[in-house]
Amino acid sequence: MGLFDIGSMSAEVKEYYDIVIIGAGPAGLTAAIYARRAGLTVLVIEKAIEGGAVTQTHIVENWPGEISIEGQILGQKFADHAKHFGAEIHYAFAQKVTAEREYKIVEFDNGSTVKCKVLIIATGTEPRKLGVPGESEFRGKGVTYCAACDGYLFKDKDVVVIGGGDSACDESHFLAKIVNSVTMIQNLPYLTAAKVLQERILNDPKIKVVTNHVVKEIRGNKKVEEIVITHNETNEETVIKTDGVFIYVGLLPKTEIVKDVVTMNDYGYIITDENMETNVPGIYAVGDIRIKSLRQIVTATADGAIAVEHAAKKYL
Amino acid sequence: MSLLAEKDKKYLEDLFEKELENNVKLIFFYDDDNAEYCDLESQLLDELRELSEKIVVEKYPKNSEKGSEYNIEFAPALLLTLEDSKDRGVRFYGVPSGHEFATLIQDIVTFGKDARPQLSEETVAKLMELDKPIRISVFVTPTCPYCPKAALTAHSLALASDKIIAEVIEANEISDLSEQFGVSSVPHIAVNRNPDKFFVGAFPEPQFLQQLLELSE
Repeated sequence: MGLFDIGSMSAEVKEYYDIVIIGAGPAGLTAAIYARRAGLTVLVIEKAIEGGAVTQTHIVENWPGEISIEGQILGQKFADHAKHFGAEIHYAFAQKVTAEREYKIVEFDNGSTVKCKVLIIATGTEPRKLGVPGESEFRGKGVTYCAACDGYLFKDKDVVVIGGGDSACDESHFLAKIVNSVTMIQNLPYLTAAKVLQERILNDPKIKVVTNHVVKEIRGNKKVEEIVITHNETNEETVIKTDGVFIYVGLLPKTEIVKDVVTMNDYGYIITDENMETNVPGIYAVGDIRIKSLRQIVTATADGAIAVEHAAKKYL
Repeated sequence: MSLLAEKDKKYLEDLFEKELENNVKLIFFYDDDNAEYCDLESQLLDELRELSEKIVVEKYPKNSEKGSEYNIEFAPALLLTLEDSKDRGVRFYGVPSGHEFATLIQDIVTFGKDARPQLSEETVAKLMELDKPIRISVFVTPTCPYCPKAALTAHSLALASDKIIAEVIEANEISDLSEQFGVSSVPHIAVNRNPDKFFVGAFPEPQFLQQLLELSE
């Protein structure tokens, strides 16, 4: 992101597009690139930022061709690529989807609508809540899920990061550059992040890792002051003083908009066939939102390409 | 050195040419405190003014007659109005930088179409029923991707109702206020400048309005 970023300028929405894509992350933007190159009209709807959640990732090191790239730069490149071929991005919340024979209609939060023949759901995931006392009470009072958004509000302070996966390690590494200290709390006896990320964490003098502990409670008066953790085996409680709690304990699918439209599994992930098509003809799901074994940028982009190739032949 | 990249200038020039139907006035307030940020925003506005003859920039010290007239509390401050300089309740405290720059551009485009916001009929109807003033303070950071939506929604509500003032506040720059309000996660939306009445996060228009109305009671 530049000092002055015009990335999130909305396109004016026309009445009809061949393909409407909800979500401007890697999956949605790749679908847009393939659709534009096939000569189709495309609208991408995004509620926050072009590039999607990858822009909130500190560093990406598994996108082929880029040894190490900041997530926000990679996300911006995806968006620039899609816009280069003429994809339009509109910033709004998509609130409702209806399927009427060969047309699908998407309603925005200001009440306006757009019509399309093919709808691609690429809404991705959102942070999972930890589910402990104090978490919702102190949301906005020290509990946060976005290091990129809120990191600088904790400059020179002491924070804890909950989790031990890729996101938790990557964000701890980012936060350590800003804050006074980072204490990572991991419920398992070991971190689960990629080995290179783990090494980075263990070599950072500002980051301390506490494994084998679960968070019992987040406490404070007006804002977060401490967390209580318990040891998995001994049940011994430890209180850690902290100014902020950054939570990275996994992801949940964002399927609210299509929950009554397409079929999902018990965990809320959308069921598709090998062409990414859902049970509703002409509605596809791509990226992290669908059932799959590996949720990565490379698999998300592949989904987008496959969906459009299939949809273009079948419906357009 | 130019703040805006050449390709962004070209894009904005075309955008303003296409979208602006009437003049848009950007009224800027500066101060010796926060001089660094004030200088930065001042230069930014100069560059924007170069991109369209429909963009009019006025600059005043914060502590001036104009500053009192618009009740400007912090600097840098930016007010958007139409040609008539009438306060429509749309303002920024702190430089609209990073993702928030897009909010400013979107605001300029909206003002360039007679300052008519695009809100649903339900929202407009609810705003018509307002019988007391509401001040919305949207705390943001330049690196927050969820903030522009909250900022734009707040500004749109202000345009639709003369009872609403919507201020977008850069939390790091206006740090005294954000500390007083305990801002630790953005967007942080405080209502009527009451530190205890706030919500956090980007919400669709109906939910944003609903929380706003509940907290303002």
